[in-house]
Amino acid sequence: MTLTLTRATPRGAETFLVVHADGTATGFNGHVDLGTGITTALAQIVAEELDLPLGSVTMTLGDTAQTPDQGPTIASETIQVTARPLRTAAAQAHAWLRAAAALRLNAPPEALHSADGHFLHGDTSLPYAELLREPVVLELDPDHPVKDPASYRVVGASAPRHDLPAKLTGNFDYIQDVRVPGMVHGHVIRPPYAGRDSGDFIGHSLLGYDESAISGRDGYLGVHRIGDFLAVLATHAHIARQLAEALPVDWALPPDLPDMEEAAQTIRAQPSTPRLCEASGDIDTALQEGTRLDRSYSWPWHMHGTLGPSCAVADWNGGRPPGWAGTQNPHMLRGDLALLVELPEEAIEIRRHQAAGCYGRNCADDVAGDALLLSRACGKPVSVQLTRAQEMLWEPKGAAQIMDVSGSLRDSAFHGYRFDSWYPSNRGPNLALLLTGRISPEPRPSDMGDRTIIPPYRVPHKQITVHDMAPIVRASWLRGVSALPNTFAHESFVDELAAEAQEDPVAFRLRHVDDPRQARLIRETAEKAGWEPRRTPRLKRDGRMAYGQGFAFATYVHGPFPGLAAAAAAWVADVAVDTETGEVTLTRVAVGQDQGLVINPEGVRQQIHGNVIQTAARVLREEVSFDAISVSDRSFADYPVASFDQLPEIRTHVIADPADPPLGTGESAAVPAAAAIANAIWDATGVRMRHAPFTPEKMREALGHAPRPAALPGPEKPRRRNLKLIGLMGSAAAVFGLGLSLLPGMRAIAPATPPAAGIYTADTLQRGADLFALGNCASCHTAEGGAPSAGGRAIETPFGTVYSTNLTPDGETGMGRWSYTAFARAMRQGISRDGRHLFPAFPYTSFTRMAEDDLQALYAYLQTLEPVRNAIPEAQMALPRAALAGWNLLDLKTGTLSPDPARNAEWNRGRYLVETVGHCSACHTPRNALGAEREVAALAGAEVNGWYAPPLAGRVPGGWSEDQLRAYLSTGVAAGRAAASGPMAEVIAGLSTLPPADIAAMATYLATLGTGQPAALTQRVMPPPGRMSRIYDSACASCHEPVFADSATVAQVPLGTSPALRAPSPQTAEKVIAEGLLAPEGTALHDMPAFARELPAADIAALARYLRSRYAPDLPAWE
Amino acid sequence: MTGEKREISVQVNAARHALSVDPGRMLLDVLRAELGLNGPKYGCGLAQCGACTVLVHGVPARSCLLRMHRVEGAEITTLEGLAAPDGTLHPVQEGFLKAQGAQCGYCLNGMVMTSVALLRRTPDPSEAQIRDALRHNICRCGAHVEIIASVRAAAKLMQAADD
Repeated sequence: MTLTLTRATPRGAETFLVVHADGTATGFNGHVDLGTGITTALAQIVAEELDLPLGSVTMTLGDTAQTPDQGPTIASETIQVTARPLRTAAAQAHAWLRAAAALRLNAPPEALHSADGHFLHGDTSLPYAELLREPVVLELDPDHPVKDPASYRVVGASAPRHDLPAKLTGNFDYIQDVRVPGMVHGHVIRPPYAGRDSGDFIGHSLLGYDESAISGRDGYLGVHRIGDFLAVLATHAHIARQLAEALPVDWALPPDLPDMEEAAQTIRAQPSTPRLCEASGDIDTALQEGTRLDRSYSWPWHMHGTLGPSCAVADWNGGRPPGWAGTQNPHMLRGDLALLVELPEEAIEIRRHQAAGCYGRNCADDVAGDALLLSRACGKPVSVQLTRAQEMLWEPKGAAQIMDVSGSLRDSAFHGYRFDSWYPSNRGPNLALLLTGRISPEPRPSDMGDRTIIPPYRVPHKQITVHDMAPIVRASWLRGVSALPNTFAHESFVDELAAEAQEDPVAFRLRHVDDPRQARLIRETAEKAGWEPRRTPRLKRDGRMAYGQGFAFATYVHGPFPGLAAAAAAWVADVAVDTETGEVTLTRVAVGQDQGLVINPEGVRQQIHGNVIQTAARVLREEVSFDAISVSDRSFADYPVASFDQLPEIRTHVIADPADPPLGTGESAAVPAAAAIANAIWDATGVRMRHAPFTPEKMREALGHAPRPAALPGPEKPRRRNLKLIGLMGSAAAVFGLGLSLLPGMRAIAPATPPAAGIYTADTLQRGADLFALGNCASCHTAEGGAPSAGGRAIETPFGTVYSTNLTPDGETGMGRWSYTAFARAMRQGISRDGRHLFPAFPYTSFTRMAEDDLQALYAYLQTLEPVRNAIPEAQMALPRAALAGWNLLDLKTGTLSPDPARNAEWNRGRYLVETVGHCSACHTPRNALGAEREVAALAGAEVNGWYAPPLAGRVPGGWSEDQLRAYLSTGVAAGRAAASGPMAEVIAGLSTLPPADIAAMATYLATLGTGQPAALTQRVMPPPGRMSRIYDSACASCHEPVFADSATVAQVPLGTSPALRAPSPQTAEKVIAEGLLAPEGTALHDMPAFARELPAADIAALARYLRSRYAPDLPAWE
Repeated sequence: MTGEKREISVQVNAARHALSVDPGRMLLDVLRAELGLNGPKYGCGLAQCGACTVLVHGVPARSCLLRMHRVEGAEITTLEGLAAPDGTLHPVQEGFLKAQGAQCGYCLNGMVMTSVALLRRTPDPSEAQIRDALRHNICRCGAHVEIIASVRAAAKLMQAADD
């Protein structure tokens, strides 16, 4: 039987605690665990009041069917606010148990002791379980006394996390791991106005889509659309994504965003309503008295940047839907979902699962709306997993903020302070409500810009105003909310006043603080950190490095104004500034924090560490980017977060007085970060940083460096994001002025039935197969997604597009009616069976020198291919086929290749393979204006269709040994030297099937072509750090500077050897970054992801140039 | 990316599987959706965060970028495969438990799997070596201090077991 503690509400009874028949207990709390370990801290509170072992207490958090509605899990108020009724309930339950035990033991209640789930009296020990004979329900008495903190044993002792063992073994069900029987998968397709939430275009931009393009495919279940809400349903998640990405969708483009480069002006210019938070004295007069400072501070938009993109599952269940969600706000979400699908709230149940840490309002609620809409549409349980890009583009951002400050110092005292803060943010209306038009897309201001807006100092004349305003892009709370930027301004400004007063900044603060707890925190933190008092910046230098220390403190105030104080925290930050590169390194942070009673000391320390590390990255590097219409950051590539190589040393000093009630600790230690770092930079360099983040480029500018060299242009902001990739090579003029029509036409060779493959010997067929592979015939003669060797692949040339021939022995569309004579003429003279000239995109200029028996073997092998009917389109060329006769007169050197008697047989064999059937020159030899290979520059390297084929002859950077060539030609990889990419990777796939003797022969020949000393590979140089180095570090380095060089997913050779970076133009490098690399089967090559969908085109172009200057500094920079 | 399904055999955590899958499908997706192994996590799909890390022949690899045809015949270890058959945790798991090396824990898989490989090669790593080995694994919560302590604790446990 159970003992239950409930509270009556208009919606029915809410349960806070159940003591089960076995004497264990379950606590219920409407807040959720955001990965901070709050589950464990709440269990400690219950265990303490009930005198139960911690292991006997479980917690249920956030399930709407089971837990009380205690509002969203924000402002770090779980312990401070929502744990109170839980504690009281546990105390009340304990009192009831004590009374029951007293009756059983026939002793006065106060004579009983309790421990570990037992009451003790003399020698008698009575377990709680024996007291629970029948069900008892008690109404929560909010005034019931609780334990004296002085007697705490469980609270105040560090306790390990409840959830860690399951998380460490893969047995923990995060929301991303929830699977429901019969579940199908939805993949949402978001509009182009990424991250925007107001304006008439919201919900009205979807012009149409072509369902027929995907509807027949395997796994397809449907497309669902309401307004601008669009999604594909499929049996599997990966299929849903593939189909969604393949669905042609037509969107109207939204109007431009206001100028986000000049965010401060843009924010001030938006409609806003001033709200006076505090006024005292006579501010206008006070600012005229003494020394006046006017300052403006700005804060950028930030991402929550959750590590796990949001996911949700919903099951319509005939209109009584359960929804599985990683939400911060289960009860609020239930209300939103009820509105979305027009159900009463009670019909919906939210089952809350932990998600990856969110630090505020990310897409967790939005995706729950997506899942429910789709489940209603198909009647089955539906899971929706957002992509990394969807999460980052659409999450309500941590808002930018502008703080304008004027203040005065009179007789060395803080005299007047006028503070105006603009905070374009709200509570993040559910995206599904906006996209479907269930709520109007009007601007919705909110009132959260006032957190910690009142400075903690005694100032006689004050005017503190917040300008409430709607978001410009979706924005909502993120750790520290507006208190972090407000404190950046307060604590930077007071530091400036102290400098103006020529007083130590800590002493100046102490002189203006009235609250003894705050004074103690300031004093103790400075003392423990080894604060070195100073009146002016110390400007400590060691060579180019400057070192400094800064102080800041704040009490995080949350909730509606005037709000509730959470823990107060102080920072002493030590920085090292590289005055050449502008890099700021946070070397050490000493944090003092006063949070009253501590529930779980290790948990508190961990929260402090997390706040320091995360916020340091926000202050030093994080900033959301925009293009003309939307947010543009799609991955950690252009939104880099904290990493292991930038960790400061962290010291914590926790002031914990058990007599003071527990205060929230989830965010407090973040709040002083920006000002402490800015003040430390001032101490090091004498420069005030007032605009976060303090990136190297801003720091260099502040230090008076010239802008970065023109060789590294910053990316231009594109008017529109252009996903189209580099297409054709630059078009060359058609220069055929020869009177070619005078030349005789070629005769057709009559159709003939080729001999059956069976008449050839196995050796001949194998030889043909090898030649077919060596010539990589299948690559050009297979269309994308088409049948192998059935032709039709479009081949772009400077003169237009040709389509490759169907090589299969199909009678009508292939070569099924070609005699050997016709085949040999095509190979030797470039003339088709019907007498038409073939364009030299077909490399007959190489094939013409093949030996007769090789041609016969190749012909024989073609007869063994599976016939495929595939009619080939006519070429779209800027010159007539007849013109090719003249071209051939000039450029076709016929006659088989004769061996060089000065060389051995192997070398000659290699030369034959390379120069005839291998047709290496087709890509590696530059062409003249007529499109013919330039003989004098044979194999000297060339650019073809956006790919650079590096030099094989002449000066070959890095050189090639025979061993390297053998490895490269047979697997695609020569360790440390080269890895094939693009068309060469396809060539390798063919070569990998060749007899080793042929590979060895080619290696022998090719190794003799490079002349002179192999060029030493150049040392890399480091261009100044900036946006491109950050993209490199977060998007490229994990594979290109791998920790485990033998990993299956890392780059196989250093970028310094990359031919793409040594090419005359950036087109190969840009193409590889944009399109990535897909290793053909049969090679030892690795894949590289494509970035065309992840990075703006301007960033891809700038990144290619950055890599050139970093890894090929001996070559001219690319324009 | 879509292709005809074909049978691809892999060994995952000592069990051999012959899977009929699209050879272009990512290993991460197959491990989670087909084999129900939730240890590896989807974080970015671009090898930037490390949440999807598995061991391929004992070496960490980002399973979000590993197409199935590339692991044909490979020996793959996931987080679920670290503990002994009797449930005894791997010393690295013990180390993370001991030093409480997580906040939300979503990055934990990558941290643990990478540390397992690190400690095989460098049994007694310095703090700098640990930071270096984990530099391409993202923890957004900022549990870095506890993670480093966890790897050190794991190294000690492994050394104690060897003595």
